[in-house]
Amino acid sequence: MNAVLDTAPLIRFEQVWKTYGEGDMRVDALAGVSLSVESGEFVAIMGPSGSGKSTTLNIIGCLDAPTSGTHRFLGDDAGALDRGRRAGLRNMHIGFVFQGYNLLPRTTALENVELPLVYRGIKARERRERAAQALAEVGLSGREHHTPAQLSGGQQQRVAIARAIVSKPTLLIADEPTGNLDTRRGHEILELLTGLNRQQGLSIVMVTHEPDIAAFAQREIGFVDGCIAYDRARAGVS
Amino acid sequence: MLQQSVRLALLSITRNKLRSFLTLLGIIIGVAAVIAMLTIGSGVREKMHADITALGSNQVFVSAGYRFEPGSPPRDAARPLASEDYRMLARRLVDVQATAAVARKSLRAIFGPNSTQVSAVGVTQDYLRIRNWKVTRGRAPTRAEMESGAGVCLIAPAVSKALFGSDSPLSARIRIGQMTCTVIGLLAAKGGSLFTDEDNTVVLPLEAYQTRIAGNRHVESIVLTARPGIMTARIKREAEAAFRQIRRIAPGQDDDFQAEDMTEIIKFTTDTISTFTALLGAIAGISLLVGGIGIMNITLVSVTERTREIGIRMAIGARQGNILSQFLVEASILSLIGGLLGIGLGLAIAWGATLLIGIPFVPSIFAILCLSGVSMMIGVVFGFFPALHGARLDPIEALRHE
Ligand SMILES: Nc1ncnc2c1ncn2[C@@H]1O[C@H](COP(=O)(O)OP(=O)(O)OP(=O)(O)O)[C@@H](O)[C@H]1O
Ligand SMILES: [Mg+2]
Repeated sequence: MNAVLDTAPLIRFEQVWKTYGEGDMRVDALAGVSLSVESGEFVAIMGPSGSGKSTTLNIIGCLDAPTSGTHRFLGDDAGALDRGRRAGLRNMHIGFVFQGYNLLPRTTALENVELPLVYRGIKARERRERAAQALAEVGLSGREHHTPAQLSGGQQQRVAIARAIVSKPTLLIADEPTGNLDTRRGHEILELLTGLNRQQGLSIVMVTHEPDIAAFAQREIGFVDGCIAYDRARAGVS
Repeated sequence: MLQQSVRLALLSITRNKLRSFLTLLGIIIGVAAVIAMLTIGSGVREKMHADITALGSNQVFVSAGYRFEPGSPPRDAARPLASEDYRMLARRLVDVQATAAVARKSLRAIFGPNSTQVSAVGVTQDYLRIRNWKVTRGRAPTRAEMESGAGVCLIAPAVSKALFGSDSPLSARIRIGQMTCTVIGLLAAKGGSLFTDEDNTVVLPLEAYQTRIAGNRHVESIVLTARPGIMTARIKREAEAAFRQIRRIAPGQDDDFQAEDMTEIIKFTTDTISTFTALLGAIAGISLLVGGIGIMNITLVSVTERTREIGIRMAIGARQGNILSQFLVEASILSLIGGLLGIGLGLAIAWGATLLIGIPFVPSIFAILCLSGVSMMIGVVFGFFPALHGARLDPIEALRHE
């Protein structure tokens, strides 16, 4: 793209505001947030309910644009792009993992994982190979033809992670990925994510409520009332 | 991409079979109406062509009546044609090959305990030859029998079967209305035509018909055939001129008779079919419109039901165009299925109808292809707005949707 790419951080927020509603109903979900995330980082976002964590994640994921301020992705002003270009950015660079898995029902694991490649216009054969490989990476070989209803919560979340990484994204975004799982399954998921981060250099931004889950990340950002309360590297990791 | 959309569409259609079917009723009925109409229409045309060829295209028919126009007197207000008119006309025309006069009435024919409703037709000598109507058993009346009005008759197969079963009708005496006649011959089967069913005919000498059945000298119609190489239009003109003189119609007065050649009869029938076709076409159009609205509705329902799915697809990189085409493909496949069902139903209806009225069954591949295309287009056109609505959803709102 340009020379900035090499030096620019992966994500940069400059005085980002996000406002919902008007007049008395006005809510500042984000009130002047500035932050930056470098390529290869694993960041956990913490904070009480309603503090603006999901809002931040939606903007980082190019699903939404700030009301004011700038959101740069790889140096480009992503907030200023139109919907079509934002969709293109998501497709090329970003993988999503949600709390509720959000797999397509009545669609096999393999087909769910193939979907991002479908929207990239990749041929069926290559799609199938890459999807099968991604499922293998999350430890689900042999479950290709199961539908979500035939998989446990932990397995469904693995399918969702496979779907998020199948297109070899730059950044993986996870909004409470362990929110629906018990501690043991949650830790397994986090081990998987940590592995992807360490071995493949995949950047991860994850929202969580649980300190033990946040402990897997290298850096923790705390939100309160739409502002950053703290931003610190975790002890013992670097 | 398209393959995936098609598979998805089929999946969501078959998942809601009953709902899909109900949605499609409008399109099914509309398409069925069009196909049935076109198929029956071309059957009628084909049959008509065959009938007219069988009847002979070199004929001119003369009958009493004023030209049919708004405000013209009714047909039976005209002076009837008389035997005398026929004889004078036959003498005057030079370009005709043969002439015949015909009068007919529906009556009961009785033989012993059996009876049946017949069409009693009084004819002159050349009638059977003009009609190319063969006598399969027995014989035709002689010239002397024709002229004297002898009590002899020819019966068609259905009459023979009704009165005599499998016995021979020859030489039997049957009653027709007030008259008794001897059966001297059996007519060949003509089968039903579009114009009449002639298998229940009893043919008598016109003379006998007039004196013993009608009680007057009236003639219903006169048939003229042109000599080879002579245009029927010319015969028609000659007959009109001659008939004005014979019937003493003053210059400037309207004809009180009508001479028609086959081309006019064909045109009249074709016009009637066209009117009928236009009417059915309008019904089909309304039905297709209703069907289209059904498609619009079901696509909107589908978009609403799958709002979350739309959100997921957008999050993983679907553009608006992808979502739009997914629902458009679904709508057009749905309406194509409706179209195909309609084509099947329409052909079945047409097949039944052609069997019933005895015309050939001629399905048109062209019409079938056209209608398949039209049904798909209905899906695209009516599915467009709901699909666009889905494509324009905000991804975050859509993801949050329950
Ligand atoms: N579409 C919206 N319309 C109006 N207000 C909204 C909307 N989305 C979020 N908000 C508000 O913005 C604020 C931040 O919401 P956000 O979803 O970012 O919180 P969160 O930190 O993710 O909370 P949780 O931990 O409960 O998920 C909340 O007060 C919320 O009510
Ligand atoms: Mg949240």
